[in-house]
Amino acid sequence: MKKLLFSTLSLVMVLFAGGCGDFDLVDSAESKGKEKITIKIAWWGEKPRHDYTLQVIELFEEKYPTINVEPLYSNWDDYWKRLAPMAAGNQLPDVIQMDMLYLKTYSENFLLEDLIPYVNQELIKTDSINQTILSGGKINKHLYGFPLGLNAPAIIVDPHLLSSGAGNQPKDNWTWSDFEKIVLQVHKDKGIYGTNGMKSPDVFFSYYLRTKGMDLYNKSGTGLGYDDDQLFVEYFDMQLRLLDQGAFPRADVTEQIKGIEDELLVKQQSAMQWVYSNQYIGFLEATNRQLELFPPPGPGQDLGLTVKPSMLFSMSRSSKHKEAAAQFINFFINDIEANKVIKGERGVPVSAKVAEKMKPDLSVNQKKVFDYVNKVQNKNNIVEKANPLGSNEVVKLLQDVSEQILFKKITPTEGAQQFRMEANKILTTNN
Amino acid sequence: MNTRVMKENIQADVTITSISKRSRIIKENLTGYAFISPFIIGFLAFTFIPILASLYLSFTNYNLFASPTWIGMDNYIKMFTADPRYWQSLKVTLIYVLAGVPLRLAFALLIALMLNTASRAVGLYRSLFYLPSLIGGSVAVAIMWRNVFGDLGIVNIVLDVLGLSTVRWFGNPTAALWMLIFLSVWQFGSSMLIFLAGLKGIPKSYYEAASVDGANGIQKFFKITLPMLSPVILFNTVMQTIAAFMTFVPAFIISKGTGGPLDGTLLYSLYLFIQGFEFFNMGYASAMAWIMLIIVGILTAIIFTTSKYWVHYESEGGR
Repeated sequence: MKKLLFSTLSLVMVLFAGGCGDFDLVDSAESKGKEKITIKIAWWGEKPRHDYTLQVIELFEEKYPTINVEPLYSNWDDYWKRLAPMAAGNQLPDVIQMDMLYLKTYSENFLLEDLIPYVNQELIKTDSINQTILSGGKINKHLYGFPLGLNAPAIIVDPHLLSSGAGNQPKDNWTWSDFEKIVLQVHKDKGIYGTNGMKSPDVFFSYYLRTKGMDLYNKSGTGLGYDDDQLFVEYFDMQLRLLDQGAFPRADVTEQIKGIEDELLVKQQSAMQWVYSNQYIGFLEATNRQLELFPPPGPGQDLGLTVKPSMLFSMSRSSKHKEAAAQFINFFINDIEANKVIKGERGVPVSAKVAEKMKPDLSVNQKKVFDYVNKVQNKNNIVEKANPLGSNEVVKLLQDVSEQILFKKITPTEGAQQFRMEANKILTTNN
Repeated sequence: MNTRVMKENIQADVTITSISKRSRIIKENLTGYAFISPFIIGFLAFTFIPILASLYLSFTNYNLFASPTWIGMDNYIKMFTADPRYWQSLKVTLIYVLAGVPLRLAFALLIALMLNTASRAVGLYRSLFYLPSLIGGSVAVAIMWRNVFGDLGIVNIVLDVLGLSTVRWFGNPTAALWMLIFLSVWQFGSSMLIFLAGLKGIPKSYYEAASVDGANGIQKFFKITLPMLSPVILFNTVMQTIAAFMTFVPAFIISKGTGGPLDGTLLYSLYLFIQGFEFFNMGYASAMAWIMLIIVGILTAIIFTTSKYWVHYESEGGR
C-alpha cells in the first residue's frame, strides 16, 4: 500500500510541478498588467501596410500610455484561415480588420460587437462622417464594422505602353468596344497584352452587372441578382475574343501571378490593369513609372461605379477591453497624425475633416485617387453593403468557373449555367 | 532485522495467500495505469474524443461558430451526389498516391541498393540522402520547390539548355500535380533507411551461393533481394500510402491554398481544409475526413490481402 501511495504521489507531483510554475507566471503577469492593458489588433495586407500600421500603433501607444497594442498580421489568404479557429475558440483579437465578404458571417454568428453604443458615447466620433458611408458597415441597424476608407473599381493605364493616336487612348467616358479596340491595338503594335486578366472576376463582373442595373446577389441574398445568363455569356465572350487574338493573357499565364511584382503591368507585359482605386499607389511604387487612373468602360458607368468600404474595423464580442478597442478604432479614423502616416492606403478616409486636413500633404498621385473616389461618390451615392452569407464560397466558385472558361474547358454558356446552379444552391442553403 | 521482516512477510503470505496475491496484482496494475495515465489522458482528450466529436459533427451542419444542427446523412449525400469538386479532389489524390508511392519506393530502393555497397563515404551519403526527408514536410521546402519550378526556375533553365520546351509548371493542372509528385519522390529518405536496414539483414551466404551457381546481378536482385526484402516493401507501401493520402503542406503552399490551377493540385486534405476553414462547412469537412479514413482503410486492407501472393516470410519456410 505504501508503495502504491508513494508512486501515486510522485506521479501527482510530476503532473503538477509544471503547473505550479505556471501559476507563478500568471501571478506576476497580472501584477504588471494592473498598470497596462493589452489589446490585440489584427489585419491583412502586404509589407507596406504592415510597416505603416505598426507606426500608427506606436503613435497610439504614445497617446494612450496605459494601453499596450499587440499586432497580428498576415496576407489576405492566411488571415482568414487564422481568424476562423480563433473565432471558434472564442479568442478573437479585440479589433479585427473586416471585409464585406465576411462581415455577415462573423456578425450573424454573434462574434462581433455592435459599435453604435460606442458611437453614441462618442468614444468613436462620427461628426464628420457621412451616414451613408457608415451604412456600409451596418447590418439591420447594427454597426458591426467601421469603414476605414473608400474604394471604387478602376483601371490603371501605362500611357507608354499604349499605341499612339487619339483613338487609342482611354477616356473617362469610354465604352466596352473602345476598350476592346484599344486592347487589340496595343497587342498589334507592341506585341504585349492589352489588359491583365481582369481578376478577381467577382469584382468586375459585379461592376458589369451594375452598369446594366443589376447585381451579383439579389436583395435578400438568397440567390443571384440577375436573371439573364446572356450577360454572363457576353462578359466572358469578350474576354475569349481578346484571348483568341493573343491580347488577353491565357489562364496559365495569370496563374503564375502570386504578388504585385509578378503583375503583367509591372513587368511591362500589359498596358492596363483592372484594380480597386487604392491599389494605384502600390502600382506606382512597384512600377516606378507614371501611370494613369481611369474608370472602367461603360455604358452605364454612373450606375456601375459605386464606392465600397475597402476595409472595416470590427470589435470582437469576446474582447475584454472594449473601451480601449473603441479608442483604437477612433484613433485610426479621426487622428490627423495617424492618417498622415496611413496616407489613404486603406482607401480614401471616411472622415471629411481628416480628408480635408490631409490634402496639403498629399502627392499629386495620391490626390488623383482621392479625386477619383470623390467623383464616383458624387455621381452615385450608393455604398456597397455586406455580401450575403456564403458569398466567399460563391466568389471562389466564380473564380473556378472563369478559370475553366479561360482554359477553354467549358464554354461561357456552360459556365453561366454551372455558376447559376451552384451559386444558387450555396446561397439558398446559407440564407 | 531483515530476516524478521521476511519471516513476517512469509507468514502473512501463508495465512492470506490468494487474497494477498490478488490485491498485489491489482496494486501493481494500478501503479502501471497511474504511470501511463499521462498518455491515456492525452490520448483521450486530444485524439479519441476529437475523433468521436468529428464523427458526430459529420452528421451536422456546423459552421465553427454556432452550435451544430443535426442533418443526418446530408453531408455524405452531398459529397457523393452534388459536389463535383469532391470527385476532382479524390481523382487528384488517387493519381498522387498511385503514381507517387511506387515512384518514391522505387527511388528509395535504388538509392538504398547503391548505398548498400561497402564504401567509406556511405555514412556521409546516407545522411545527405536522408536530409530532404528531415526537412520534408516543412514549409521551406515547398517554397523552395515553387522557385525551382518557377517560370525562370532551375528546372526550366535546364529544359531550355537541353533544347526542350519549357513548362509553365503552375499554369498547367497536370504539370502542377506532377511537380507535387516529384516533390514527394524527392523525400524518399525514411523509406530508404528502412530498405537499407532490410538489405543489411539479407545473409551474404545467399548471394555467394548464387554466384557459385553462376547467377548475374539482375538475377540475384530478382531472385534474392526482392523476395527477401518483400516484408519491408509491404511495410513501406502501407506507411507511404497512408502518408501520401494525408499530404497537405506542399499542395497548400505550392497552390497558395487554392488547389489550383483548375483544381489540379486539390489534394483531399487540402479540399477538406478549404471546406472547413474557408467555407466554414466544418460538418461537411468532418464527413470528408471519415470517408478518407474508410478509403485509406480499404486500400490498406487490399494491400494486406494481396500481400500473401508477393510477400515472402523467411520464418514460414519460404512459402
